[in-house]
Amino acid sequence: MTGAVKRIWPVLAVVVLAGCGIQPSAVTGAGEAPTGVAAGPTLYFVGPDGGLRPDQRRTGGLGTVPEAMSLLLTGPGEASGLRTEIAPVSMTRVGVAYGRGVIRLHVPLTADDVTALGTDQLVCTALGVHVQSGGSQSTKVQVRFTQPAPDSDRRRSCPLME
Amino acid sequence: MTGRSWLRGLRARLLVAFVLVTVLGAGAAAWSSAGSASRALVATTEQRITETAADRVGAVAPELVYPPDQGALDRLRAAVGGNTLVTYRGMRSAGGSRTGLVTGSLRSAVRDRNRPVTQRITAHGRPWLLVGMPVMITAPDGERTPSGIEVYSVRDLSGVERRIDGLAGSAVATAALALPPAVLLALLAARSVLRPVRELRDTARRLAAGDLDARSPAPGADELGELTATVNEMAESVQSSMDAMRRMQADARRFAADVSHELRTPLSTLTAVMEVLATAADRMEPDDRESAQMAITETRRLVTLVEDLMEVSRFDAGTARLRAEEVDAAGAVRDCLRARGWLDRVELEAPEGAVLRLDRRRLDVMVANLVGNALRHGEPPVRVRVLASRRQVRIEVADSGPGLPGDVLPHVFDRFYKADAARTRTPGSGLGLAIALENARLHGGDLTADTAEGGGARFVLRLPRDLEDL
Repeated sequence: MTGAVKRIWPVLAVVVLAGCGIQPSAVTGAGEAPTGVAAGPTLYFVGPDGGLRPDQRRTGGLGTVPEAMSLLLTGPGEASGLRTEIAPVSMTRVGVAYGRGVIRLHVPLTADDVTALGTDQLVCTALGVHVQSGGSQSTKVQVRFTQPAPDSDRRRSCPLME
Repeated sequence: MTGRSWLRGLRARLLVAFVLVTVLGAGAAAWSSAGSASRALVATTEQRITETAADRVGAVAPELVYPPDQGALDRLRAAVGGNTLVTYRGMRSAGGSRTGLVTGSLRSAVRDRNRPVTQRITAHGRPWLLVGMPVMITAPDGERTPSGIEVYSVRDLSGVERRIDGLAGSAVATAALALPPAVLLALLAARSVLRPVRELRDTARRLAAGDLDARSPAPGADELGELTATVNEMAESVQSSMDAMRRMQADARRFAADVSHELRTPLSTLTAVMEVLATAADRMEPDDRESAQMAITETRRLVTLVEDLMEVSRFDAGTARLRAEEVDAAGAVRDCLRARGWLDRVELEAPEGAVLRLDRRRLDVMVANLVGNALRHGEPPVRVRVLASRRQVRIEVADSGPGLPGDVLPHVFDRFYKADAARTRTPGSGLGLAIALENARLHGGDLTADTAEGGGARFVLRLPRDLEDL
């Protein structure tokens, strides 16, 4: 063999060996960290000044949107100094459906049972839990009442989170 | 043919070059595609593993008690799967036997970057993927802070490595598939190059052997075609100059033959006149007699010269004929010496019985030339030996003079060659040795000159005994 050929073989061997198998690597970052742990959900009530007030409950875990909605419908309690603009109901179960970029709340209320501020309470509480469990902040909320209302299809967002 | 010289051949070199280029090219292409495919495979596998782990953590996280107790950590670990380690401050929950592989650099990277990190390591002879991620707390407004819970997972990459090995194997197979076509192409290319080269070589051999009509067919307009055309032109020009030279040589020989022939008639008249002059020389005055003697001597020399010239012309023209008969060499040599009165000046050693077929007249010419030459130029004693073997008869003529100098030896048989430029006037014609050599060759024998042991010049005439009738 000629000298040139002799020089080619080692190069070839190095190339072949370098391409073989899975090589160890350094530490590299990848993707988004999971989230969702919390001491409890944050509920939104109306403060003495007539604005929305967050109220973090210590339930021991974040829980789900329906659980948070049930707590919201149950009311702020006497000692908190907060009030709610949602009429008290005996049944606190709220149906939740997730669409593309939207959360649909089926509340056991009529449009007359809530004020505009009361609707914001519903929207903000649902969005808060959604974001805390890793959801997108740009998600909108539709509030469906037991009876059809003119603006129940409106996609709403929370005024405190904009 | 040995292996090494075979490797130097054009065909082998073309073959090796073709195969190397093909295998290197195909191998590089296959290898690079296999390499990028395996890199992509590893990357997607890592991404899939990390995302799956993060999804599982994210799915179970809202249901966990926070701050977590041991039960919460165990639940999180179970959700992620085997070989997983979950820590929260001093607490830990480990499952699987490989969680010890988690490196310190991975832990610090999880704390520093607050996002999932991965690292590939090799342990126990297998590749592993380490995944580490913090669990974050997200405020309702989207702000994220670390919760202090960290999840580490160790995953075996052996399956991925096997698939990569499969890719590499198919790359090698692809490169090997390119080999047979490369060999075939190389052989075809070598044949198309080698055929004209071989024809050219054959033509050159025929030219060297003297066949000046040899030509190669021009195979086209490439470099080999140009080379062939050039060789053909060369052969053409060599042939024409050879023809011209031969014509000139023939002209020169014919001229010499014509001249000597034309000189013969006036010379015979002159010879007759000289005979008359010789008979009258006795009655002349001494001065006139000396002039007459000189004229007679020179005329005889002229006659000898013209006869020798005509003899040489006959050799050149190829018209010299051998009249062979059974002759006793010793007797013929003795007769030759006796006829010239040299028997008492020459030591002859000639045993009887060396009988062979030869031309008696030409043997006489040869012996007379050699002995006359020795008597004229060498010192006595001059020895003549006749030796007979089964195949040939050797006739040696040696003198005791100074011998032949080295620069003279190659030229002694040249025509009109004078060893001593100052001694221009010698009785010989200057053609004697040349004629002797031609005669020896005509007999199928040879005549050589060398220096004898005693230092004198020695001429050896060899005549074969198996001469056919000519």
